Amino acid sequence: MTDLQLRSRHRTDRVAADETPFRIHMRRLRSNIGNAFYELRKSRTASIGAILIACLMVIVVFGQSLATHDPIKSNYRDRTAPPSAEHIMGTDKFGRDIYSRVIIGGQRTILISMAAVAFGLAIGIPVGICSGFYGGRFDSIIMRVTDGFLAFPGLLLYLLIVTVAREWKLYGFWNDAILVFALGLAFWPEVARLARGTALVEAKKEYVEAAQVMGERSFLIAMGQILPNCVSPLIVNATVRLGYMILIIAALSYLGLGTPPPTPDWGSDLRAAQDHLESHPMIAVFPGLAICFSVLAFNLFGDGLRDILDPRLAER
Amino acid sequence: MLIYTINRLLQLIPVVFVLTVVVFGFVHALPGDLIDAMGGTESIDDPEVRAALEKELGLDQPIVVQYWLWLEKVVQGDFGNSLITRRPVATELLERIPATAYLAVVGIGLSLLIAIPLGTIAAVRRNSITDYTAQITSLIGISIPEFWFAILSILVFSLYFNLLPSSGYVGPGEDFGLSIWYLILPAVAIGFRQAAYTTRLTRSSMLDEIGKDYVITHRSLGLSERKVIYKYTLRNALIPTITISGLQFANLLGGTVVLETIFSWPGIGLTIYQAIQLRDYPVIQAGILFLGFMVVIINLLVDLLYRVLNPRVGTGT
Amino acid sequence: MSNVRNNWANGLNRREFLAASAAAGVMAAGMPATARAMPKRGGTLRFATRVDGSGLDLHRSLAYYVSNPLAGITQGLLDIDQKMNIVPGVAEEWEVSKDLMRYTFRLRKGVEYHDGADVDAESVKWNFERILDPAIGFAFTRSSLLDVDRMEVDSKHIIHIHLKRPSAVFAGNVVYYPVNLMSPASVDQADTNPVGCGPFKYVSWKRYAKTELVRFENYFETGEDGKPLPYLDAIEGYPKRDDSVRLTSLRSGEVDLIENMSYFDVPDFRRDYADRFNTWDVAQVGGAHFNINAKSGPFAMDAPDGKLLRQAVAHAIDRQAIHEAVFNGLSEATHSYYTSASPWHMPDVKPGPEYDPEKSRFILRKLNMENMPIAVVARTEFQYMRNGGEILHAMLMDAGFGATNEVFDNPALRAKYSKDDWGIDSTATSYRFEPDGWYSRWIHSQGDEGKLRVGFKNERCDQLIEEAKLTLDNNLRKEMYTEVDSIVNDEAALICHHGVPLTTAGVNSLKGYAPAIAGPYSWSGGGIRTAHFDDAA
Repeated sequence: MTDLQLRSRHRTDRVAADETPFRIHMRRLRSNIGNAFYELRKSRTASIGAILIACLMVIVVFGQSLATHDPIKSNYRDRTAPPSAEHIMGTDKFGRDIYSRVIIGGQRTILISMAAVAFGLAIGIPVGICSGFYGGRFDSIIMRVTDGFLAFPGLLLYLLIVTVAREWKLYGFWNDAILVFALGLAFWPEVARLARGTALVEAKKEYVEAAQVMGERSFLIAMGQILPNCVSPLIVNATVRLGYMILIIAALSYLGLGTPPPTPDWGSDLRAAQDHLESHPMIAVFPGLAICFSVLAFNLFGDGLRDILDPRLAER
Repeated sequence: MLIYTINRLLQLIPVVFVLTVVVFGFVHALPGDLIDAMGGTESIDDPEVRAALEKELGLDQPIVVQYWLWLEKVVQGDFGNSLITRRPVATELLERIPATAYLAVVGIGLSLLIAIPLGTIAAVRRNSITDYTAQITSLIGISIPEFWFAILSILVFSLYFNLLPSSGYVGPGEDFGLSIWYLILPAVAIGFRQAAYTTRLTRSSMLDEIGKDYVITHRSLGLSERKVIYKYTLRNALIPTITISGLQFANLLGGTVVLETIFSWPGIGLTIYQAIQLRDYPVIQAGILFLGFMVVIINLLVDLLYRVLNPRVGTGT
Repeated sequence: MSNVRNNWANGLNRREFLAASAAAGVMAAGMPATARAMPKRGGTLRFATRVDGSGLDLHRSLAYYVSNPLAGITQGLLDIDQKMNIVPGVAEEWEVSKDLMRYTFRLRKGVEYHDGADVDAESVKWNFERILDPAIGFAFTRSSLLDVDRMEVDSKHIIHIHLKRPSAVFAGNVVYYPVNLMSPASVDQADTNPVGCGPFKYVSWKRYAKTELVRFENYFETGEDGKPLPYLDAIEGYPKRDDSVRLTSLRSGEVDLIENMSYFDVPDFRRDYADRFNTWDVAQVGGAHFNINAKSGPFAMDAPDGKLLRQAVAHAIDRQAIHEAVFNGLSEATHSYYTSASPWHMPDVKPGPEYDPEKSRFILRKLNMENMPIAVVARTEFQYMRNGGEILHAMLMDAGFGATNEVFDNPALRAKYSKDDWGIDSTATSYRFEPDGWYSRWIHSQGDEGKLRVGFKNERCDQLIEEAKLTLDNNLRKEMYTEVDSIVNDEAALICHHGVPLTTAGVNSLKGYAPAIAGPYSWSGGGIRTAHFDDAA
């Protein structure tokens, strides 16, 4: 997803002369959300995606209760066991319950991706909107910085950050936090550009001028007025990005820079299962399917949302 | 247009500057003592040896000075020598760039070959079986972890059917036929994935075009549907597809690390990844800088091309 | 008779010993003199390895992996046989003075570098001096020559090496890996076109892609047909990092030989593919061990409960589980560095604390240190180190420790060692063929690796290791090392737990090949040196 595609994704609508700026944007937001739900039911892609995502969210919220075993408790006497009543997906090379690992690993992976997306949005949106709104030299500087970051080859940026982070004594949560940081750091320039594109257009609109005339502080105008208008493309972008991040985490695991064991992690588990690919292919099946399933869910939903939120597509 | 181009070129200078700072900063934050890293699995305890090496590598200088000295040389085109192989970094990288570029070009080409017809048909026959198949295939294509796809395709095509070599690289200059043979699996792995994105893009920009006024006009003039679609619509719809493929190409140059590792493809991604593990600072710095520079340049070219093809776009952004 | 060749024979006098050595050298050249047909000459061996070389300079190479194709270019002063005996090579005889301060090597006449220059005493001196140059010699290589005080060229083919301190083990340090010989005239092209004296000549090296070597026509060893070895015309080396891809490339016929099979592929492959492929085990290329940080922190040698806590760790270790889960039943669990496959195997070593997690729990409870934190670390690059760390982590958790598990790449891990920022390290070391290389560097309190990565200190061990270094009789040395290992086991700072296996696989038509501890190339009378293709098979 690049700015070329997204340049045209902001909404345009007519503004009644007597509406206050606040009302205008609340109305838009409300109608956006309301329409979204209405359209969601109409779009098959989006509703399938939404159902799949709902399943993932169940895992995220109720993961601990769904898991039948301690995911890191190994029982190396009972290694590579096939699926059974005790272990419904079997056990891995150290005798850990694959089902519980898939559940808890999924919880982690999805939370990391969501946090990373949130982190990217939290930086990218204000930077992009201010850049577009204020323009001038500030805009130039910000855009050059984003260009610089965007030029940084993606996977290698993660490789570098994760390698650097290994220096710090980080366990558990902090290890994940680094991943969030790395993934978010690569995401924010994209967000900033998107938000800036919308802000550039919106800043010239009447209601913004009206707000300025009424003496609202410019930063508040930028955030309060313009933000709702770039929500749609950002949501689409962020949803698709969630899926992409899960794949990046898996790729890092392949290169040996993923979450260190025994922490359950889809990517690392899939990588580890590769050792037993021919003798025990079942070990690889479940984490592999889990990755495909969730990436698919986010992509489907993102696709559907795009159709819904893009008025020009919706017209047809 | 000329002014715009010059303007954009000038803008590149600060971008590349930001890039050099980020590259240098990250690389020097890498954990592990450089001197120790040079010792491989052994420690270098001798203080005399350490001091000599530090001086040779300029590590005794403050970091800002090191950066400046490095930048000075880079501007003159001197990237230094690899700490590991002791060969010039430029040689080290120039040997690898063709392999990656070859892979990326063919991969992207393949993706366009798949994506354009598939995306067009999907758009023309919207909501048909073809459309759904194309959409579902492309969704699955982007949902599989690439290393997994690569390993499985090697098992299937190389081991079970014994059709293609599992891995390795032959340069197109050495033996073109053989080089294609080795290229197929990795290029398909890239092409499949890229095609998934590009199909979706082609489909949506086709839909975009089909809905436009001129199409309705042409139709009302009685031109055949086929002619309308293939002569007018497709051409316009392909502008974003082609430009985005250009950007994907730029990203691929540094994004094939995993595939290069699996397919033993001696490309630039694999080289930089290995250099990171070995702390071969000059190679990491020059490699990433080169890739970043390529991205910037290709972005610029794509942008200019886009403007040429589609003059309606203003110069505001 | 093979044992006569080295210092294993008790009470053999010097002259008899040298005579036996020379005789053995002649014998070694034509060893398997059975009635079968002469080996066929020619053919190119395509060899896939896990890693690629990291440089061409034979003295500087950072990671001179034994199986790297580039290793075929060169050779040490002495050779090693499959049983790890040190045997004549470029030097056909050697002698050590009574005071163990001077080694004299007599070089074989007519041995040449690939550029045609003679391998003479001057060139050996030049090589050793270059290795000893701190700015050039790779640390591992250099450390094997650190005892050298000065070198004296006696005649064209005789060199005396004077040591700084007496040593009975110096000869073991001048074998191939670590010490390689290159032609002095080639020094300017050391980084681009290495010139050694090994069985194969350098042609080209495309990093991460391909290495090409061709037969050296004037190699000094002769084959069964009376002409110089090697039988093969050329070698092509292909680095393929991914274990499953490497194996696939063998099965699909792209390469003839692969090294470093994944342990998890070995049993099935051996069962299902015996009709097309051979596999060879090097029972032990090294030893896997857990190093406890005994330098500082709660496990330190001088911490009040250090020993008890270390023993609690040792009680947690289930060697059988490691044998199965990490090594997939290959090689064997050990209580010292050497497995039963090694001539240095010491059956009388007293094992350390036995596997009994209840005892670990009991100790922790008694010290009121239940769930005490301990950071397990391992290197990313090696699967068995990672897996060893992972299972160790699980065992420590079972035994009541609050363990964490982390993997690092090599430079990051070394930084952790120097900052004492780790708890227990799942690692392994590969051989130096001379056991003093292990004991002096790891167990001796002044050993460089031990000082950095374990911190073990024991006066009796130091004394025994030093004494062993002055002992020519290997059986006596084994007794000394047995005592050392028993102490080490009881102190439980460095816990040797398993041999590191290495499995090589190749096509059935490849004959006359067997890998050895020294890797696939350079061991006397075997390896790729004597490999040949026999299409009839």
